[in-house]
Amino acid sequence: MSKTQIDYKNLYYPPGGILIWIIIFIELITFGIALITMVYYGEQEPILFRDSRLQLNVTFGTINTVLLLTSGFFMANTVHELKQESIPKAKKHLLATMLFGVLFLVLKGIEYDSKIDEELLLSTNTFFTFYWMLTLFHVLHVIVGLIILVAVFFGMLKENSIPKMEDVEAGAAFWHMCDLIWLLLFPVIYLIF
Amino acid sequence: MMTKHNAITWILLMALTVIAGLVSTASIPYMIPIVLLLAILKFVGVTFNFMEMRKANLFWKVLILGYVIIFCGIILVLQ
Repeated sequence: MSKTQIDYKNLYYPPGGILIWIIIFIELITFGIALITMVYYGEQEPILFRDSRLQLNVTFGTINTVLLLTSGFFMANTVHELKQESIPKAKKHLLATMLFGVLFLVLKGIEYDSKIDEELLLSTNTFFTFYWMLTLFHVLHVIVGLIILVAVFFGMLKENSIPKMEDVEAGAAFWHMCDLIWLLLFPVIYLIF
Repeated sequence: MMTKHNAITWILLMALTVIAGLVSTASIPYMIPIVLLLAILKFVGVTFNFMEMRKANLFWKVLILGYVIIFCGIILVLQ
């Protein structure tokens, strides 16, 4: 583990690095614009959006929020343990991070399966077009995040391998970005219409 | 010490998530502003604690706070 002291107060070195934060802001703005557009369309067809929203399972959405935030908690612990050079603990926390990420995907799969059974598809109405597009795009980010975490994990398994703290923090920042996007998607899609 | 800090943040995030779920199912006035406020608090909890933005330059703090407040503000106005 390279134990270089990073000065986070430096404008060009936010935690995770400036490049990942540029990506995070691009992603947040993209999802933000899409969600604002959804709410705008919701104002044009309020009854349809309300009726459609009521067909979503808020309990599933809430549990998914819990799963992602718990995963984020373990990710934060992973970074902390790596900074302490405690690799075994970091590995355990990283495994827990991935486990909760996979559980999120499993529950999302169950939710999608029930929507397909009920024939609430992409083409059903405007609400479900937004629902499928936004949540699937988010799921895609979670899958990419998991691939990054698996790569970090295998990097830790190698003996004599020295994972760079900046790389681990960048991977962690991407994973937390999935939390952030979900924290915006959940209230808009599942709660407010 | 740091993991304890993360644990406290996680407990608060769980509490906010449960409150958001309960508020959304209850017929109470100002439901939407309350749900959006809870979303802002969770967003800040993740960015400032889990992502350690509290240690970052003021520029990044203002940017992230500005983003989530403007986003929720626009949603509120459109609703």
